[in-house]
Amino acid sequence: MTVKPTRRGLLKGTLGGTLTAALTGCRSEQARGELSQLTAPGEKIVDAIPVDVTVNRTATQIAAGPDTTALEAVRNQLGLTGTKLACGHGACGACTIQVDGKPVASCLLPATSLHRRRVTTVEGLATDLRGLHPVQRAFIGEDAMQCGYCTPGFVVEAAAFFDAWRAEHGKQPPSREVIADALSGHLCRCGAYTQIYAAIARACEGAYDNAGERGPRYDAREKVTGQAKYTVDVQLPNMVYGAIGRAHVAHATIRRIDWSRALKHPGVYAAVDLTMGVRTIRFAGQELVAIAAESEAIARHALTLVDYDLDVYTPIIGIEAGRTAKDHVYTSRATRKQAPNANEAPLLPLKWRGNLRGPFQLFSKSRGKARRAVTEAKDSGDAKRLAGGQFSTQTQCHSTLEPHACVADWRDDLLVVHLSTQGVHQAAEDIAKRFDLPAERVQVLAQHVGGGFGGKAVLSLELVAAVELSRQLGRPVRVVLDRHEELATGGNRPAQEIDLALAADTEGKFTGVQVKSFADAGVAVGSAPSILFRIMYAKTPKKLEDWDVVTHAAPGKPLRAPGGPPAFWALEQAVDELAHARSEDPIALRRRNDPNPARKELYTWAESLPLWRDRATSIAADSGRYRRGVGLAVGGWFYFVQPSARVQVDTTPGGFVVSTACQDIGNGSKSVLAQAVANVFGIDPGMVAIRVGDSKLVPGPMSAGSRTATTIGPAATQAAENLREELLEIAEAQLGYRGAQAIPGGLRHSAGETSWGEVLARAPRLTTIGRRKRDRKGYVFGIGGLAAGRYVSGSLQVSEVEVDTRLGTVRVLQSQVGLGVGKIFTPVLARSQATGGVIQGISYALYEERRLDPNTGAVLTGNLEDYRIAGLGDVGTIDIHFMQKGFENVTGGGVGLAELVKLAPAAALGNAVFHATGYRPRHLPLRPDRVLKGLRT
Amino acid sequence: MMLFPRTLEELAGQRGTPRAGGTDLQDRRRLGLSTGPIVDLRDLTGLDAITWNPDGSVAIGARTTIAQLAADDQLKARYPGFAAAAGGLATPQIREVATLGGNLLQQVRCWYYRHPNLRCLRSGGTSCLAREGDHLFHACFDQGPCAAPHPSTMAAALLAYDATVELRDGQRLTAAELVGNGSDPTQSHSLQPGQLLTRVHLPPAVPGELGAYLRATNRTRAEWPLVEAVVRVRLAGGSFEQVAIALGGVANTPLRIQALEAALAGQPATLKVIDDRSKVAVNGAKPLPGTGYKLDLIPGVIASALVLALKQQPGDKPAGGAL
Ligand SMILES: Cc1cc2nc3c(=O)[nH]c(=O)nc-3n(C[C@H](O)[C@H](O)[C@H](O)COP(=O)(O)OP(=O)(O)OC[C@H]3O[C@@H](n4cnc5c(N)ncnc54)[C@H](O)[C@@H]3O)c2cc1C
Ligand code: FES
Ligand code: FES
Repeated sequence: MTVKPTRRGLLKGTLGGTLTAALTGCRSEQARGELSQLTAPGEKIVDAIPVDVTVNRTATQIAAGPDTTALEAVRNQLGLTGTKLACGHGACGACTIQVDGKPVASCLLPATSLHRRRVTTVEGLATDLRGLHPVQRAFIGEDAMQCGYCTPGFVVEAAAFFDAWRAEHGKQPPSREVIADALSGHLCRCGAYTQIYAAIARACEGAYDNAGERGPRYDAREKVTGQAKYTVDVQLPNMVYGAIGRAHVAHATIRRIDWSRALKHPGVYAAVDLTMGVRTIRFAGQELVAIAAESEAIARHALTLVDYDLDVYTPIIGIEAGRTAKDHVYTSRATRKQAPNANEAPLLPLKWRGNLRGPFQLFSKSRGKARRAVTEAKDSGDAKRLAGGQFSTQTQCHSTLEPHACVADWRDDLLVVHLSTQGVHQAAEDIAKRFDLPAERVQVLAQHVGGGFGGKAVLSLELVAAVELSRQLGRPVRVVLDRHEELATGGNRPAQEIDLALAADTEGKFTGVQVKSFADAGVAVGSAPSILFRIMYAKTPKKLEDWDVVTHAAPGKPLRAPGGPPAFWALEQAVDELAHARSEDPIALRRRNDPNPARKELYTWAESLPLWRDRATSIAADSGRYRRGVGLAVGGWFYFVQPSARVQVDTTPGGFVVSTACQDIGNGSKSVLAQAVANVFGIDPGMVAIRVGDSKLVPGPMSAGSRTATTIGPAATQAAENLREELLEIAEAQLGYRGAQAIPGGLRHSAGETSWGEVLARAPRLTTIGRRKRDRKGYVFGIGGLAAGRYVSGSLQVSEVEVDTRLGTVRVLQSQVGLGVGKIFTPVLARSQATGGVIQGISYALYEERRLDPNTGAVLTGNLEDYRIAGLGDVGTIDIHFMQKGFENVTGGGVGLAELVKLAPAAALGNAVFHATGYRPRHLPLRPDRVLKGLRT
Repeated sequence: MMLFPRTLEELAGQRGTPRAGGTDLQDRRRLGLSTGPIVDLRDLTGLDAITWNPDGSVAIGARTTIAQLAADDQLKARYPGFAAAAGGLATPQIREVATLGGNLLQQVRCWYYRHPNLRCLRSGGTSCLAREGDHLFHACFDQGPCAAPHPSTMAAALLAYDATVELRDGQRLTAAELVGNGSDPTQSHSLQPGQLLTRVHLPPAVPGELGAYLRATNRTRAEWPLVEAVVRVRLAGGSFEQVAIALGGVANTPLRIQALEAALAGQPATLKVIDDRSKVAVNGAKPLPGTGYKLDLIPGVIASALVLALKQQPGDKPAGGAL
């Protein structure tokens, strides 16, 4: 195979391994002999016994080997793929089924134990008699989901809870505490908790006993019934299973990799080399080989038979080690070019000094002035003029609940790739380039995607493995990462160390900001939070320096609001610090220095909030064990659009069909499209059929960079408006409606009114393609099909926390979040995205943290017990307030919010902890050990 | 291979690893930490009951689920700390299948031990990788050689309630004997292969005794404890008459904190006394470089658990200011 080097660039064409450039040939081999037939997909069960079980009211038999789990039995043998595998060790609840009416984690449950039991999966919750379970209807009605991957588990548990609650308490609503207890075994990575609470409470109250089965989210019904098919659910005839052999050490050179023993193992079909000629191992988990076999178990077992001959060296782990180590991760100019890009922006040439790369100073503004201002403030010795210090943030993993997954089917005429991706269109282009195929010979499909957050925006090696193996074998090949692989290599937000000084004059006007930040993106480079310091308090002089410190860890990737949470953690706490030093209201200080119009309105709004207005006037006002405090922080973000994207609208006699090669990763693209077209015609979105998740459709945008809604919403609107005009003409000219005028829902004409449904039934089929019109004042810049808008959105978050000074915990009680993003396309979904982002921000601030063994570089937090994601009980109540003005020059009138909402949470909590206790936290996450230590000093 | 004994007699001749709920075993089998034939206890009858004796003591079958323990009204009334411990561990979906026997005999949750490609003292390696590496969640009463905290919440409860366990051959072990002294780095308990735990016996509750369970965690729920405490209290005339305290999460065995039990006995049951004396609990602690914070947590967890226990006594609320 010849592989063309791909340029590292704006969310394009980057390969998520260690390697990007100058890739050479790829060694591969196929096992000789007959391909044996499979018994059950993905499983050849040795030593199996029959187990009689009633599943969803039907008696059946399954085969249970010693290690067959109930989950494997229902998914693989019975084809009930609604039940999901996410963590595989009892921590997330995605796999929950009911056994004799009781919810259990099926990923740990031996299939043997189902003998003579009654199993209900998500597919069986609905009955002929009552239709969907009230809880399913409530999840639809309250929009209690985003990507939907966790939804079956939640719904199965909540249905059992509902049945028990109703029996005991009737229609009395359960409290948040009760719900959090009952669903404590479930995690939602998208953070749909606010809506999940509402759905369960409202269902228990009886609000959904007789409700319909429609809601604001286009594909909600598929998600609550387990019908939604994700890449991990794709089963193709003749499919085989691939697994990736990874480095167990973090630093080594490869002498030889020998897979001959693996290839001889029965059931193993082929192997390919994934090193692509790179002979150095630079992180634990680095992809080395891939093996295809008749089952995933055999493939994974065969990996243990691969012999690696390595020279192993001590790895460099962590920022400090990276800065001081005599050894270098990249030892030459040529190898430095292999460093992947951790960011979305293209890499600019920068100096390397050992493991340090930098400084990147492009976003500074009046550098000398900023430096002088800080020096002067320091020299003045006036504590009211200087704030800041050293802040640090941890590595955060994307850890989407659906792991990276790919099913590749290399046929003579077409390479079909089912891929869990944030960009079907982009992925198809990249694959064509990578495998040297004409564009029309590649098709990428993604019906449902179980979360992305930036981790699925670029081609990664599970795809290369699946495609290569499929090409060799002429059969479809499935490669799905397990949770450890996902957490080790699926992507992460780099750890960051930020030295920040904020200087002001005696009047409280900012005179300079000086920031030096170091990022540990493992083997990757390019993390640059400095741009965020630049856009905030935009008029203040700034001296900004970003440094990369390369270490022996998996490469960082853009994670929803790349660079944002660390930057705002430092900046917004420094601002708070200065306000307190000046004994000034934090809003007054910000308002004086913040020219952003979106936030100006938000300051006024925040001042009207009782939560803010009535907060204690002094620091650490409570003296008891539990101390409450209120903190405020703001954020600002860019917006992007993808002008190249198109949306097609077709008419059929039955209704409208909207299609574009975008995907719905939980962000609600399908609903945005349906809503936009429905608005133009004044019809119910249910009359609009949506087709996305197929690269053969007209090019659609990536779901990244908060650009989806702002791109496809206006494009769909344009297409629909053109279509409406055409339909009017046809109505007049061909259908005999005199003086036809569009009214909501149909036409008014001389003879009365006619619905669009009737018009379509008689009209010829039409097709229109819409694009997103340019913004009235153009863009700041455009590269690689992406345009950066002229305006900066604004957010403001006020949070109340309670600190347990005894046990060191920080509990978030409530958050009020204001967002200045202009017009909102689909309010319910926008709200859900906003609360989800705030929840992810809380989770990041308090719990999430990837930890590596300092000696070997092994990922210790490779499971969802040790990698902690916030649960239902951890997030408090969240209210979202939209400020819908101020973006009139943007086509469509609004900008994206997905990233904006992730900026303020950590700093708002930090400021609240300070308000509650007088302890100013500087390091994330706010673990109990840190809080206790902070309170002591 | 799998065997499905229906009676203890049948089981006697069978070799293999017992499997109860499988919530611990299957995870370890997946990781290659447990291999070989399985003796699946699915069809075994007679070990899933809670049986009360005339003297007020109780025998609990090893296959009783944790959910059953947590929901049992009699257990809640007589051994509140025991029932609360069951209700406070893991998640509802785990408690539904996890058994008392399996909980007591599960292996540690150390992130080195359960790492797919690392080998430590427990898994055939030569050293405790946590001790030399990242041990943020490990022991602060370091008893060596393994630094991982004992995993079983119920073992701490057994220790506080002076329980004994019965084995298939009729042998009885005290809770302390069951968990051992931590000197064997390959086991979290002292049972030999082939032995089966059949029942747990709790002695009669002391009339009027109170009890509670509490854990310190980072998230609010569904998390392994940083420190956990099971406490039992009997008051007489407003003073502590008898106190039993067991801690989990702090050593490679659960620990009874006798020094504190003695320090509280005879003292007035006030917040001030609880607060002052709880510090005694960390006497003799040997934290690792990264686990010193647990010494701050221990008095807090114990004091909170004691207050929780005292609150069960109507009208006998502790006085003397907030904790
Ligand atoms: C997310 C999560 C959180 C958890 N949190 C906690 C927690 O906070 N506290 C806590 O204590 N636990 C916790 N656990 C662990 C859980 O409680 C145990 O896995 C469970 O109790 C084990 O019971 P089981 O019946 O499934 O045991 P199994 O997995 O069946 O068995 C465990 C071990 O005991 C042996 N065994 C079982 N029964 C017998 C018997 N009768 N005689 C001899 N040997 C036997 C088996 O051979 C095996 O080695 C958690 C688990 C998860 C997944
Ligand atoms: S997959 Fe079973 S609990 Fe996470
Ligand atoms: S909706 Fe819960 S994980 Fe995506």
